[in-house]
Amino acid sequence: MFKNYFKIAWRNILRSKGYAFINILGLSLGLACAMLIMLYVKDEVSYDKFHSNVDDIYRVVSEYSSGMLQGKNPNTGYLQGPYFSENTPEINEFVRIQGASKDFKLGTDVVPEQPLNVDPNFFSMFSFPVLYGNPETCLQQPKSVVISEDLAIKYFGKTSVVGETLMVKEGEDFEPYAVTAVTKRCPQNSSIKFDILLPMTVPEGTLANNENWFSIFLNTFVSVKPNVKVESVNNTIQNIFVSQAKETANMFAEKYGDKNFAILPTYSLQPFTDMHLNKELPAQNGLRDGSNPMYSYILSAIALFVLLIACINFVNLTVARSVRRSKEIGIRKVVGGDRKQLIVQFLGESFLLCFMAFALAVLLVQLILPVFNDLSNKVLAISYLFDTKLLLGFVTLFIVTTLLAGFYPALILSKYKPVDTLYSRFVLKGKNYLQKSLVVLQFTLASFLIVGTFVIYKQFSFLTNYDLGYDDSNIVEVQKYGMTTDQFSLFKSKLMSNPNIVEVAGKNAGYMGTSGVVNGDERFGFAYENVSESYIPTLNINVVSGRNFSSLYASDAAHSALVNESFVKKAGWQNPLGQIVKLGTGEDGKYTVIGVVKDYHFSSLNQLIQPQLFTMHPDNSFGKALIKIKPGNVSETLSFIESAFKETFPLTPYNHTFMDEVNKRNYQAEAKWKQIVLFGAVLTIFISCIGLFGLTVLSVEKRAKEIGIRKVLGASVNNILGIVSRDFIKLVSIALVIAMPLGWLVANKWLESYPYRIMFGWQIFVSVMVLVILVALLTVSFQALKVALANPVKSLRTE
Amino acid sequence: MLLELKNIYKWVNSGGRRFYLLKDAHLQVEEGEFISIMGPSGSGKSTLLNVIGMLDDFNEGEYNFLDEPVHQLKEKHKANLYKEYIGFVFQAYHLIDELTVYENIETPLLYKKISGSERKALVADMLDRFNIVGKKDLFPSQLSGGQQQLVGIARALITKPKLILADEPTGNLNSKQGEEIMELFKQLNEEGVTIIQVTHSEKNAEYGSRIINLLDGTVIEK
Repeated sequence: MFKNYFKIAWRNILRSKGYAFINILGLSLGLACAMLIMLYVKDEVSYDKFHSNVDDIYRVVSEYSSGMLQGKNPNTGYLQGPYFSENTPEINEFVRIQGASKDFKLGTDVVPEQPLNVDPNFFSMFSFPVLYGNPETCLQQPKSVVISEDLAIKYFGKTSVVGETLMVKEGEDFEPYAVTAVTKRCPQNSSIKFDILLPMTVPEGTLANNENWFSIFLNTFVSVKPNVKVESVNNTIQNIFVSQAKETANMFAEKYGDKNFAILPTYSLQPFTDMHLNKELPAQNGLRDGSNPMYSYILSAIALFVLLIACINFVNLTVARSVRRSKEIGIRKVVGGDRKQLIVQFLGESFLLCFMAFALAVLLVQLILPVFNDLSNKVLAISYLFDTKLLLGFVTLFIVTTLLAGFYPALILSKYKPVDTLYSRFVLKGKNYLQKSLVVLQFTLASFLIVGTFVIYKQFSFLTNYDLGYDDSNIVEVQKYGMTTDQFSLFKSKLMSNPNIVEVAGKNAGYMGTSGVVNGDERFGFAYENVSESYIPTLNINVVSGRNFSSLYASDAAHSALVNESFVKKAGWQNPLGQIVKLGTGEDGKYTVIGVVKDYHFSSLNQLIQPQLFTMHPDNSFGKALIKIKPGNVSETLSFIESAFKETFPLTPYNHTFMDEVNKRNYQAEAKWKQIVLFGAVLTIFISCIGLFGLTVLSVEKRAKEIGIRKVLGASVNNILGIVSRDFIKLVSIALVIAMPLGWLVANKWLESYPYRIMFGWQIFVSVMVLVILVALLTVSFQALKVALANPVKSLRTE
Repeated sequence: MLLELKNIYKWVNSGGRRFYLLKDAHLQVEEGEFISIMGPSGSGKSTLLNVIGMLDDFNEGEYNFLDEPVHQLKEKHKANLYKEYIGFVFQAYHLIDELTVYENIETPLLYKKISGSERKALVADMLDRFNIVGKKDLFPSQLSGGQQQLVGIARALITKPKLILADEPTGNLNSKQGEEIMELFKQLNEEGVTIIQVTHSEKNAEYGSRIINLLDGTVIEK
């Protein structure tokens, strides 16, 4: 019996290759999409779960209700771990983890590495397999280092390297560190990823100084006893914190004249597994891959869309084609088949088609995976497929798809009455609302995604082409931490000897924030930059009133400040020049505003411009040099910069970046999402169209006689085109009417998260409508034209 | 008695009016008869045949088949009844295009859950009997009309039905092929199979033992 079904199914596929192709291709695209995204989501939710006692591990986090740190804060300091675990019986142990930067010596080269500073009991809390060495003692001694197998290969060419020595830069010299253990490479789905672990050294006297409760810069993990109620632990640690830090907080409030200091933050425990997808308390500061759960949602939605559309194709095509199969169904019923057997037969056929689609999908996934990995910043592998849970997921996906796509047609088809089908009295009854609404649904989803793509595209090009308020072109950034003013001057004078170098500016590394007091007693937070005199001209930033720093004024060095327009606004100054900003205590901490610069976008456009203040204090070191070069001869200029750098700073690794490229990288996430949504939109419209194509073929087949008669009666090619296309275009138009307001709503919601965003009007919608209708028309008319041009005698004779 | 129709009415409503397809139709069929139903187009011949074959319902009247009251039976029971006792032969042959001759003949047996070896033997007998062994692996489209109808009859006979219902079995055939089919029917009838055929041809009707004339849904027996 099954052999017979299989034979029929197989021969049917061979007989109508086009139809089978459309079905299999559409389904396999949908399935591949769903599989990829299952891989992605599975990876996302599996983060950190490989630790053996993961459910008992928490991170200490805090929430400030006011002041500069207002909001949730994932960081802690040296004190939280030891104090909390010592005084809370439910806490077993704590491990502090801090991301660091250190220079290592590889042969004669200096290589910057990013080790993690961790407490010695790191391996007792976290389950990272150690290949060589003793995990319990490997981090006990200072100047010991634990490295990954990858790093061992990089530095020593082999993995069994316990006892070997690595040279690590301390101050200006390199010191020997002993390798005490080698670990396996960290799993892909780990927030803690390291190549190097160094034992954490806490400066002497730190733990006794209560001021350090407010110095927070690392991650503290604690493990609690099994089945402990976290709420009660939260209470305990908060009490410990209040009793230890209250006095210091009051003292700070008084000293800095800021009441916010007296309002203590609330400490609590964040489950380790919650960290990866938590936007408010992300994995950071040495912890990696913090992700936005929104991505999983968007991707899942796209996968669902594509799969749904592919299933709809399957249902529509199968039902529409059933006219052809109706005779077979009638015969089977007459010669003894009952409905159940027919349902089984048709389900079997959809199973076969789905199976082929599934096999193709696995192939597709393997092909697309590298691109997808690149897009999603992941290292997913097809070998993930051998994970039993995921395998189960795929099998479920397969079965659900088969049933979804096969069950409805099977029910419809098996209902046909033989007396109807065998006497050519058979027509698909009713107005076929289901088929029509499914087509509408398909095109609604597709148009919706296209609107999304349009909006994302426009927003992205808006961001990348936005006038930042300064000139980031032809600026080379060179990193050098702790570059003194003298060192900078030396480096600059060397550089300026090259005519291809226009200007050199120094500034602190990264972006700092601080707070200060204006108008006597008002304190607020702002971005803070310590720069060289040449900074403003190098970046071509407008000074709107007052003047830039100048070496001609002796007081500029230590007591003058520039502020931006937002700063002036926030401070409420009518006349900003000459105003005093107190950054520290006493006379030394007072700065006079000598100029106001135009607001420029110093950070990503994903944020509003914040108040900003510049100083030129000679005691503050620079973290990088910005070198404005002439266009042309770039590679020569770059090698000149490199040699000048190596001459000035022989022990520091050199690397350069272009500022405009770095700026573009701020929108990497947008760029990637732009691509992903574009893929999704193209895929959905493509699958929708092949479905539409199939439906047209079948509709034309069904109406061959009608079209023949019309042609004999004198209908022109255009008339026929109109007749065939009209119904489908009507459906697509309904879909557009539904999708447009939906797209408008969602796009607006998405744009709200951008402080600088496009205004989009009806033009986008008109372009999407025209595009979708054109594509649909093209799809339909291809087939319609064929029948319109065909000889009517043929179709009329077949009766 | 094999079957009996009493006061059968069948109608359709269209535009507020009632059109009768069958009007007070009577028919008694004994086992072993060979009946030809004749009448002009639209007189209800095929409808009557489908009612007898239980493929079509009727609105009023009584129908007893082997002493079972068909008008009182549930759909499922009815289906079982015709599957057990009735074989159908169609004007347009109605073979399954995707199956070979062999597989087409085998299909009814599949639904009866007959074992593989038995099926093989039964189909082989049938192929042998109709002299189409050489064609068993061909598809319907590769056969002539007469050959297709032979396969259609073989398929109808494979389950050893008591009654064969044939709706213009020679309608699509040339006269020579038609004659062969009628000869075959005659032979089957002599072997004991009851046959009811619908036909337009006086000549084909002569093969039967009795002719029933139908006019506007009413039986006019001669």
